[in-house]
Amino acid sequence: MVFSQKRNIVIAIGSLCLLISSCGDNTQFSEPLPETVDFNFHIRPILVQNCYLCHGPDASGRKAELRLDTYEGATALLKEGGHAIVPGKPSKSQLIYRINHEAEDMVMPPPDSNYKLTIREKALLEKWIDQGAEWKSHWAFIKPETEIAHNESKAIDSLINMRIQQKGLMKSSQADKNTLIRRVSYLLTGLPPSPEDVQHFIADTSKDAYENMVDSYLNSTGYGERWARHWMDLVRYAETKGHEFDYPIVGAYKYRDYLIRAFNQDLPYDQLLREHLAGDLLEEPRENKEMDISESPMGTAFYVMGEGKHSPVDIKKEEADRIDNMIDVTSKTFQGLTVSCAKCHDHKFDPISADDYYALYGIMESTRFAPIADISMTTRQTAEEIQDLNLYMRKIIADSWTQKDVQEMTASGELQKKDLPRDAPFKIIGDFRNSNFDGWITNGLAFGKRTTLGNPLVDKTSGKLLGLDEGRASSKTLGTGVLGSLQSPNFILDTDYIGVRARGMHSTIRIIIDNFQLIQNPIYGELEQQINAKAWNNYVFDISPWKGHKAYIEILPGGYKGHYYSLPENAFIEAQYAVTYDTEWPVEMKRPINGKPVEKEDWPTLDLSAGLVKGLNQKLKEGRLPSKFPELATAMDSNRQLVEKLDSDSFFYAITDGFGINSPVFNRGDHNDLLEEDIPRRFLSALPLGNVPFTSKGSGRLELAEAMLNEENPLTARVMVNRIWHHLFGKGIVETVDNFGLQGKLPSHPELLDYLAIKFQKEEWSIKKMVRSIVTSQAFKRSTARNDELTSKDPNNIYLASFPVRRLQAEAIRDGVLAVSGSLDSTMYGPPVKTYLTEFMQGRGRPNQSGPMDGAGRRSIYQEVRRNFLEPMMVTFDRPIPFSTFGNRNVTNVPAQSLTLMNDPFIAQQAQIMAEKLLAQKELTFDQKIEWIYRRTFSRKPNPEEINKAKQFISGLRKMESASKTDSDIEILIWKDFCHSIFNLKEFIYLI
Amino acid sequence: MGHFNNFMQRPLSRREMLGICKGGFGALAFTSLFGVLPFGCDRPKNSAAETGLSLGPHYMPKAKNIIFLYMDGGVSQVDSFDPKPRLAKENGEDPKKKFKVDATQFDNVGKILKSPWEFKQYGECGMPVSSLFPHIATCVDDIALIRSMTSNFPEHTNANYFLHTGSGIQGRPSMGSWMTYGLGSENKNIPGYVVLDGGLIPPGGLDNFKNGFLPASYQASILRTGVEPVANIKPLERVKNLQEEKLQFIKQLDNSLIGKMGEVDAVESAISNYELAYKMQSSIPELTEFKEESKATKKLYGFDSDDPHTRGYAAQCLLARRLVERGVRFIELTCPKVAADRWDQHSNLRDGHERNAHAVDQPIAGLLKDLKSRGMLEDTLVVWTGEFGRTPFAQGTDGRDHNPSAFSMWMAGAGVKGGTIFGKTDEYGYRVIENEVTIHDLHATIMHLMGINHEQLTFRFGGRDMRLTDVHGHVMKDILA
Repeated sequence: MVFSQKRNIVIAIGSLCLLISSCGDNTQFSEPLPETVDFNFHIRPILVQNCYLCHGPDASGRKAELRLDTYEGATALLKEGGHAIVPGKPSKSQLIYRINHEAEDMVMPPPDSNYKLTIREKALLEKWIDQGAEWKSHWAFIKPETEIAHNESKAIDSLINMRIQQKGLMKSSQADKNTLIRRVSYLLTGLPPSPEDVQHFIADTSKDAYENMVDSYLNSTGYGERWARHWMDLVRYAETKGHEFDYPIVGAYKYRDYLIRAFNQDLPYDQLLREHLAGDLLEEPRENKEMDISESPMGTAFYVMGEGKHSPVDIKKEEADRIDNMIDVTSKTFQGLTVSCAKCHDHKFDPISADDYYALYGIMESTRFAPIADISMTTRQTAEEIQDLNLYMRKIIADSWTQKDVQEMTASGELQKKDLPRDAPFKIIGDFRNSNFDGWITNGLAFGKRTTLGNPLVDKTSGKLLGLDEGRASSKTLGTGVLGSLQSPNFILDTDYIGVRARGMHSTIRIIIDNFQLIQNPIYGELEQQINAKAWNNYVFDISPWKGHKAYIEILPGGYKGHYYSLPENAFIEAQYAVTYDTEWPVEMKRPINGKPVEKEDWPTLDLSAGLVKGLNQKLKEGRLPSKFPELATAMDSNRQLVEKLDSDSFFYAITDGFGINSPVFNRGDHNDLLEEDIPRRFLSALPLGNVPFTSKGSGRLELAEAMLNEENPLTARVMVNRIWHHLFGKGIVETVDNFGLQGKLPSHPELLDYLAIKFQKEEWSIKKMVRSIVTSQAFKRSTARNDELTSKDPNNIYLASFPVRRLQAEAIRDGVLAVSGSLDSTMYGPPVKTYLTEFMQGRGRPNQSGPMDGAGRRSIYQEVRRNFLEPMMVTFDRPIPFSTFGNRNVTNVPAQSLTLMNDPFIAQQAQIMAEKLLAQKELTFDQKIEWIYRRTFSRKPNPEEINKAKQFISGLRKMESASKTDSDIEILIWKDFCHSIFNLKEFIYLI
Repeated sequence: MGHFNNFMQRPLSRREMLGICKGGFGALAFTSLFGVLPFGCDRPKNSAAETGLSLGPHYMPKAKNIIFLYMDGGVSQVDSFDPKPRLAKENGEDPKKKFKVDATQFDNVGKILKSPWEFKQYGECGMPVSSLFPHIATCVDDIALIRSMTSNFPEHTNANYFLHTGSGIQGRPSMGSWMTYGLGSENKNIPGYVVLDGGLIPPGGLDNFKNGFLPASYQASILRTGVEPVANIKPLERVKNLQEEKLQFIKQLDNSLIGKMGEVDAVESAISNYELAYKMQSSIPELTEFKEESKATKKLYGFDSDDPHTRGYAAQCLLARRLVERGVRFIELTCPKVAADRWDQHSNLRDGHERNAHAVDQPIAGLLKDLKSRGMLEDTLVVWTGEFGRTPFAQGTDGRDHNPSAFSMWMAGAGVKGGTIFGKTDEYGYRVIENEVTIHDLHATIMHLMGINHEQLTFRFGGRDMRLTDVHGHVMKDILA
């Protein structure tokens, strides 16, 4: 790290001579000092590297009470007198005095730190102080600025060319059209261009030929498939949870499909961000009319893409680890910040405090995990209609009753919660025998908005009112087999038992401790019970081992088996109440106990007490109330029809909003050592709106999203445009795409980054427009050819005088093989193709069945991602292991890659298919055959030399075949070997 | 290989040249010592003498190869090689009343916890070893034990990176990469830096074995033991020599591509990968077939153990010896996947350490004895260490937390003074009180034994001459023979 920062300086200042100097002493090559010394580009890297461990933001390690990470700190009066920095006066600045001191016990940094300032660094510091020691915030925390109009068409090139000129570099010429279309096609869609597309583009001599070609790829479905996969690297996309048994993340693929649709529709990035962080909380969720689903909640599935252990010894630690991963991924993905570093102490380098970390911790802790119905709009409408119908039925009845009928009843005494003795040996967690859920929350449609209290019980044929229903929470409000859950608020376990009075079929009650979901034996089996009896029963949970932990109760139809949730058609669950107690089931609970007294009974709007219903039923029984309502029969009939219309909903695993929890700081990251003060849920304090506590009752995720999207936020747009740039040029303007903090690299083109960030926002966060602007620049169209001078002056191609040579990504290699061989099945979406299991892929959690070797010819994005059984070809070609955010894939070079292309049966199989396709065209001459292959594979014609070499090669191959085979067999074999060789050419896996 | 020689040659890339140049070795006669070049870094013919570009040891090396036995997760020093009777005396007492307790990773500080294992003295040197390692105990006269190791990091991932790359953060070249960069491999058919994957890739992942800013050819190749040690190692071609014919064709066309586009390191490396891949097809299967190994040898390593993990690790250790025989420079063994989550016993110390020890003890002793009897221990350095140690007090009631302030490691073989104990910890084994050895010192010493001056093996990156030991490191002369 010490060195990479130095490298930044070199790059920023543009010293190239260092990199090309010959052997020996390098001090002679140091470059002149810049005219104006910039704090961010010249000074801060020196301070971060050499000073911050003792004089940085982390107070715990600070020496001599001096901090050099703030202007105030650096210019404050020192303990021993004087000031570290006196702006404009280097000679009076202790810092200058100390860094130049000759005595070992005085010089800074101290010799035993092993840090040492170079002559140049000392000179820079001195000059900077001399120039007034202007202090700036870290560059990435300053709002982007540009003077260039966002729609200035040449802006990108002029900013790139400016640097090229400054460095005296010679630009490469524009690449030829064959190269360009292959480049654009692969980078935009992850697939090679079809020979027809190439031909069309070559023949198109119109002015807009290139732009039109770009647009056709931007608008092809392959675009979303490529860019969704880029995004999946950020959110550690996987379909299983890894660890010992690799349990499933149910419905993960729906999130993948959501992404593909989002990128193809060019969903504005601000909305994409909002839906990821809080898609379940949006007032107007984005609807997909065609599929009849709500899109927005699917974005939140990214939270649950993490790993999961089934029997953590320390359940609280497991929660802390999961949340840490969520914070890590969220902060890196959307803000390019490594907030997780502040888990144990204030960030050593960035202005991110432990308070910041635990402010986000509270947000994640207030978020719960659950299967979520991808409820269709039709279903939602039907549900509304059923509820309206219920209201209508009540109203018919209520209208027939006089005010007096009802009022007579209200006086009846009711047991109130407040009337319970203080030392009652039990606590009511929820009583659903009244009209409301007693402060519990419901998810999905199953439980409706109210309990059953007062629902008319009607004879189906006559419409005669038999009575009013008792109160209970019921998942049957719309019928059986409807997805949803009823969850209590959080409470701290302080008794031996939890009791729930319930009944149901194929349903479940779970005690969720510290948000832990993978409930099973050993250790946690007690926390889940199947409800499979239609009669009321008392279900008892022994929770004595977990006293002191935070918990909530979850009541849901359906259940988990092997951590697969399923919901049978006849599943339902109903509950009367839930209590905690130490000794015996509380007899007091025989009567409903009101959470709050009902002040004013209001029958048609359902604000009833259990007592009133009881009284009304008594009157009904005695015939003192009208009970004949023929129209109820019709209503009941409609109700039945509506219920039948309800889809049995499918679902995906994601999140719901719980109750807001503010977390204290964990001392040194230890979840068992909590500091006293709770940190309010909020954004990061170093960023705009970062100090405003969230006010929502739930997690505050929506507020988090809005804080990130606040127009003063300096990071959100920058981070995303930098990612787009990275995907197109293979390297970000900020190379550390996931880290814009002080330890990240400085931008190679800061003005360009700012310009793009502003442009992005002005163009409504359109990712496609940004891609188009970059791809249509001259810089993108340059050839990869470099002369020696360029190579020596800019060996790492920082300044983009030529286009960088790029190896295709794992998916593009595999998909390319399928496309070229002609076996690509372009079917989109749906459940993943099962992983093909080789004998190398062993271990617990191994699926019983292997998928097909060729992945059914589907694109790589549709292949299953099992954490413990990752596809070897993908891993070999550097698809990241899904554990954290990876905005920048490695590009390695290992023999396993060669071995894959040489010997993997899949590649050989595809070569065979390609050869068969080739030979099916009987009219082709030898030259035409070669041309056919080259056009498909390299998007160009072979040159005469290549045809010649092919001839020699083929004739060599022919000689090797035994004479015993038939001619046609031999032909297939020969051409298969030829195609196989073609797959092994570097030109196939590189964009040249 | 006949007509295939042509396939092997590849000129040094510019970056490699520059890197080597910055190494500043001058013309050293390393070829006379080993007669080899860094893997994937073949020098243009006859140019070495003129250009002065050469790599190789700075002085006569003691060790030619290293076997690095990585004890993933951190072995408890007070339960293995650093007996502390005081722990037994004060078992169950509050450590905070005895000494200053640092913040630990889990901060779940329990009582002082005595070792569940007995220590006995072994060998002529009388080195105490706990009953966890009855087999290794029989080799103590060949072992130089260091009880005063420290690390800078209490977290696995950082500590792993630190141990492997000399830096606690991701992305630096691993020591195996530095060794092969500095010394090359003696075998062109097998990579010079091999990781034998026992089932557990340590936290921090494959980046522990990566080349960092060194050319990609210096990264580790991962091998497994078993019938097919490396995926896709078997050629599919049905006719003899057919694959060679194809590779020849590929090579021709690839070279003309390079001609067209000018030099590009990555593409060149991809081409050179084919050379190695080709050669690995014959060298690797031959390597992992233990046919010619005698029953006695296999038994020595523990091939007949009841414990499948012992058998697995035995195969790794035997494979390591075979790799050394073939000149592989740096071999790391990762831990077997025993049920107890490597050596990281935050709880259930007794069970976890016993399982782990049982898996590795006999194979390691077998390896040392086998190397010795073949005369190979003289120029093979065997290194045994975790990334840090464990606390002398309990985490919870029956585990031990991470302790970067003191741990034990040992080396055996080439150039190492067997039977020595170096460094000292306090009476609890909690902190080093004498002769602290840092990870940088360990690296410096290993490099020294390999004939490399750690201050001189450098690679120019970002305008600076980078080293495995950064700006630190002292050779531990006291343990050298």
